[in-house]
Amino acid sequence: MLELKGLSKHFGGVRAVDGLDFAVKKGEIVGLIGPNGSGKSTTVNLICGVFPVTSGTIAFGAHDITKAPPHQCLSLGIARTFQNIRLFNELTVWQNLWVAQNSAKHRKERGFLGRWAGGRGQARRSVERYLEFSALAAKRDELAGNLSFGEQRRLELARALAAEPDLLLLDEPAAGMNSEEVGQLADRIRSLKGQGKTVVLVEHVMELVMGVTERIAVLNFGRKIAEGTPAEIQANQAVREAYLGTGAKI
Amino acid sequence: MDYLYGLAQTIGVHTIIGLSAYVVLQTGQVTMAQAAFYAVGAYVSAMLTTLWGLNILIAIPVAALVAMVLAGLAGFPALRFKGLMLVVATMALGEAVREFFFNFDYQIAKGDLKVGPAGAEGFRQIRYFYERGWTTAEVAAFIWMFVIGIMALLWWMDRSRIGAVLRAVGEDELAAQSVGINLTAVKVSAFAIGGAIAGVGGALYAHYTTHVEHTAFGVLMATFAIAYPILGGLSSVFGTLIAVVFIQGLLIQWLPILIGGELRNLLFGLLILLAMNLRPRGLIDPRVARTLRGLFVRSPNA
Amino acid sequence: MVLVQAIIDGILVGTTYALIGIGFTLIFGVMHKLNLAFAAASIAGAFASLVAWQHFKDLPVPLVFLISAAAAGVLGYLIYLTCFRFIPLKSPLATLMATVGMLIFLEEIVTHVSDGKAQNYPGMLPDARWTLGPLDIRVDYILVFAISVAAMLLLLALLYRTRLGIATRAVAQQPVAAQLCGISLDRTNAATFVMSGVLGGLAGAMIGSSAELLSNLLPLQLTVKGLIVTVIGGLGSIPGAIVAGLLVGAVEKGVETWSVLARDLCVMLLIFVFLVAKPAGIFGKLNVRD
Repeated sequence: MLELKGLSKHFGGVRAVDGLDFAVKKGEIVGLIGPNGSGKSTTVNLICGVFPVTSGTIAFGAHDITKAPPHQCLSLGIARTFQNIRLFNELTVWQNLWVAQNSAKHRKERGFLGRWAGGRGQARRSVERYLEFSALAAKRDELAGNLSFGEQRRLELARALAAEPDLLLLDEPAAGMNSEEVGQLADRIRSLKGQGKTVVLVEHVMELVMGVTERIAVLNFGRKIAEGTPAEIQANQAVREAYLGTGAKI
Repeated sequence: MDYLYGLAQTIGVHTIIGLSAYVVLQTGQVTMAQAAFYAVGAYVSAMLTTLWGLNILIAIPVAALVAMVLAGLAGFPALRFKGLMLVVATMALGEAVREFFFNFDYQIAKGDLKVGPAGAEGFRQIRYFYERGWTTAEVAAFIWMFVIGIMALLWWMDRSRIGAVLRAVGEDELAAQSVGINLTAVKVSAFAIGGAIAGVGGALYAHYTTHVEHTAFGVLMATFAIAYPILGGLSSVFGTLIAVVFIQGLLIQWLPILIGGELRNLLFGLLILLAMNLRPRGLIDPRVARTLRGLFVRSPNA
Repeated sequence: MVLVQAIIDGILVGTTYALIGIGFTLIFGVMHKLNLAFAAASIAGAFASLVAWQHFKDLPVPLVFLISAAAAGVLGYLIYLTCFRFIPLKSPLATLMATVGMLIFLEEIVTHVSDGKAQNYPGMLPDARWTLGPLDIRVDYILVFAISVAAMLLLLALLYRTRLGIATRAVAQQPVAAQLCGISLDRTNAATFVMSGVLGGLAGAMIGSSAELLSNLLPLQLTVKGLIVTVIGGLGSIPGAIVAGLLVGAVEKGVETWSVLARDLCVMLLIFVFLVAKPAGIFGKLNVRD
């Protein structure tokens, strides 16, 4: 479903991502891990079209999205969350989910004018569904900026889902969460699989990655150094060295 | 009584120009070009009615359309700039348009009188209302028809999904793109809508003053345009109206009569300073707006 | 030859634009905010010195200049107090709007003081000329150039050699870290406003002096021109502001030989050329936020 081929991004002399090959199959939950500065977030930003790609290609289904701008990626079915939460703080919880309905599916439902003016029934029902999903129904008229940290994280995930994406890119969704919240997040991510979503999870919190993913790719200095099941990755020598330095023994 | 109707005309037109900036400001773009679209609306409509004898109800939409196209075109290059660069770029655009009208000379003979824009002299003899014997009250009512129409339109927009989209872009462009909002489309549309509204304002202005010249469309007018919505708060169209009534009505018209002397802009400047120190988010800030909304209407999704 | 002469004149006088550009850019560099009232305050300073000159007859020109610089410096501090000090930094529109309020306020004061028309202003050696081959250069233009360059050098020395200057640059780069190092944000910001105000007042006085006239329209004209210089030079870049000031001066005088009416229009076009071709300005970095 998603295929990166020889993907590179250079910032000046820094090779943030360097010849990355990586593929995700439909319905998978894949982890993307690596030490700080290994190029994980940059990869997410490249897939979503935030930065222009230096070289290589990105394919999503039958589409080449190497040069697609962010809004087009979403309309094709790729939604994301941000490492540092980026909600529309001056909009209400409900409105945050409302503005996020921009995928091709929504547009077909709404027609050209309705797409701007708001769409009635269907769009509203979908908003309600994700309010329930993120357990924020009671706070629907609260401004997003007034929510607690955990609620904001949940809202951001719901906002990404409200676009009805096929592929979801989660950029460190567990950052700053306590272990109870991480547990709830893990349940939510697992439930996404049931809905037929594909998930790429960029994360530092190993508890979450090892718990929910089926396959993990490890990045270091912008290159993929290992790929396999969580168990394989845990046993992998190169991964240990990347995290702990050469010669580390456990 | 005529004095009051005259004041109503001024307030009406200034509300329109303020609302034209309101739309653009909602997308987080500070525009100093509204005076330019206002000028285009004024000159185009006045030429249509005075030089070619068209009906004003045709001249106003045409003027709005021209201003809208121009604003849309200006919106594209403006996409490249953010924040302060945009302030300066639009300011330069506004000044360039003003300079254009300063040099614009096109007159035709009408009876024994030559009419039309005459460069620095300005465009005199816009006698549409006068020729048809409209009273000041009628002209004021005509202007307020447009004010109410535009306010209703924007009020509806604010509550529809468009309003939420505009605000989303204003708040966080990257996040807006990531939820699938096409920045180019939204920003250019906002510019175009703002341009059209300013064009209507300009057209009405030209016809009630009967005489326009380039000095009326300078940096000062551009700052007035953004000052109204910012002072009033970007959460509600009524904020802009309140700001205009307060500044044009109270401060500029009545206060000088009370205390004597001409201190108009002096007080205006001081008022802005005071207001921004006390209420940095404007008179009707998001909190007030939500409270007001809660008083009058049930939440849209309930 | 006329064109060469005009361009040289333009470069000499362009140093005043450079000073105004530096003022805008300095404040932007430190606060990351635009002070739209800056150029108006500079001209208001010049008008203060005009009032002094009219009141005490035969005031020596250097003293008039100093009065202008001092008055604009005081105004700079007032602008800081009224438009920046107490307004939360999180509302960028509020500070911008407050400086607009200040701009309108100062403009109105200038209109009152000037009676709505241009006023005579003392010139420096108005008739002295210096002939250099085919060129005929006004000595007061050379003086303007010399004073401006001296002011710039003084500013650079202040920024790079004194504790205050280092504090200013530290605040410009990392405001939070600078505070943690014991630098008072408040005092540094205020000092920046005073410094830029003094430069602006000097520029305002020289602009009036080289024309021997102080126009009541200058506050708005100089605001637009100063902003253009700042943007062409790149927001926050002092060398950029200098080069851009000279460039705008040269273009202005150059076009003037062809058509006075087209002069201002061409300066506007110049900014569009830069905005499209080099949006970050001559020396600017592109990732400028809000």
